[in-house]
Amino acid sequence: MSDHHAHDDHSHGGTGTYLTVFGCLVALTATSVILAQSSLMDSSPGVAWAGMMAVSCGKAMLVIMFFMHLKWEANWKYVLTIPAMMMSVFLVCMLVPDVGRRQRMYSEERWTFAAQPAPEHHGADGDTHSGHSSDADHSH
Amino acid sequence: MSHDTDQHDHGHVHLEYQPALPLPNGKLCLWLFLSTEIMFFAGLIGTYIVLRFGAPAWPAPADVHLSEPIGAFNTFVLICSSVSIVLCLEAAKANKTGQAKLMLWITFALGSLFLGVKAYEYSAKFAHGIYPKRPRSLLYEKADVTYAAAVRKTLMDRRIALENEKSHLQENEQDIPAHLDEEISQASMLESGLATWTERRVAQADSPAMQQQLLDGLANSIYAGHGGGPSSEVIDQELAELATQESEVEQQLRDLSKEQLELEEKTAAGEDHSERLAEITSLSTSLPNDKALIADRVGTLELLKNAEHGLNEYFHEEGSSLILPMRIPGGNMWASTYFLLTGFHAIHVIVGLILFGLILGKTLDKSKANFIENTGLYWHFVDLVWIFLFPLLYLF
Repeated sequence: MSDHHAHDDHSHGGTGTYLTVFGCLVALTATSVILAQSSLMDSSPGVAWAGMMAVSCGKAMLVIMFFMHLKWEANWKYVLTIPAMMMSVFLVCMLVPDVGRRQRMYSEERWTFAAQPAPEHHGADGDTHSGHSSDADHSH
Repeated sequence: MSHDTDQHDHGHVHLEYQPALPLPNGKLCLWLFLSTEIMFFAGLIGTYIVLRFGAPAWPAPADVHLSEPIGAFNTFVLICSSVSIVLCLEAAKANKTGQAKLMLWITFALGSLFLGVKAYEYSAKFAHGIYPKRPRSLLYEKADVTYAAAVRKTLMDRRIALENEKSHLQENEQDIPAHLDEEISQASMLESGLATWTERRVAQADSPAMQQQLLDGLANSIYAGHGGGPSSEVIDQELAELATQESEVEQQLRDLSKEQLELEEKTAAGEDHSERLAEITSLSTSLPNDKALIADRVGTLELLKNAEHGLNEYFHEEGSSLILPMRIPGGNMWASTYFLLTGFHAIHVIVGLILFGLILGKTLDKSKANFIENTGLYWHFVDLVWIFLFPLLYLF
């Protein structure tokens, strides 16, 4: 335990570091807002979405590394975080066939009460979901 | 000592056991808790992503009154609170109790501000009839006859409630406010001019495409979304048609009364025209109803001319509490996921505020550093979740 206390007294972090991280976080938030307002959102929303998620991952890493001090922790951090992340990814992958593709298996009755497919002038959304709307037509 | 052991073990591998992980038990438990929290929120966010991109339709943020600037402001508030709590920990470690306490109070205030903004956002949703569940929720997936019936029922309920209020006031011999009569006549006008009119036209329509066009017209006139409401040209065209119809009905009524007089004279002369006369009597009771319906439709269209963004937006601006059922494709799934995700996040914020509240009044010296560190870790995690929720809910 004495090792641990010695480790704690290391001069990591500090107000300067935290304020720099804060500045980065604000700038990254502004980046994602600008991305959402940009024309990229209309032309290729997939790229914009991926960009915003990348920005979010960057912000998350900044918070985890500096504010949560994981940058300065011993190797136990990997034992706790990596399995949790793997389980999370696994969980999301398991949802895809069940929930994400369920529209392809809709009965006619369910299509009767389902939402209308997005109209064409929505552009981005219309493109993304055109596959589903054609399914709707097949079932009728 | 160790040298001795080595000799006894005849060169076997010597293992040095550490009593535990090199961190305090409280922090270890907190990190274990956070790893379960990662999975919890990954499940929620993952389900949201899968549902959202698997849905046949999803509302745009503006359609459901989501404001990006408010979301961005809340993100900023949480980032600030993350910085202040980490500075609080630094100050407590350095035994600067005054500074630590200031930072903790700032964190607490920022967390409360976040919740306040969230509450404001929720109340704005509720004021527009957006709830996660029926019967409060007024979101409909598509404009069909069920939707038209819901519009009619809402207007009827509204009219009956207002009439009850009026009769209640009359019983108590109180003054009846002028706006009450206006609202009653408006509700009954819309009931026939908007709902009954559409339902009747749908029943008379030749093709399913025509029916859908009529129902879409009804939905658009109530809630236009970002596509825009009915244009004034379309309204003027319909008004012109209605004027023709009205004069036709009037002409028909005049013809009927003339025919009735002639037939009555002939009956007096001994001829039997009872069948035609019965027909005329029934027509002369139904035609004025048609005329009244046309008049209500004209009144509705005049109202729609003022409601560029749909009737609901118009009522909201006028301060009326009337909200008609809205057609927002995918709106129900959106509302369920939005309220679930932000609600669970808000619960975590509340728990964080309670934890801060436990030490708000205490002296924050080195002995409190562990508590502040653990609470801070939890708080950063709450911030982390919002970092993902903000773009997913507000910007996608």
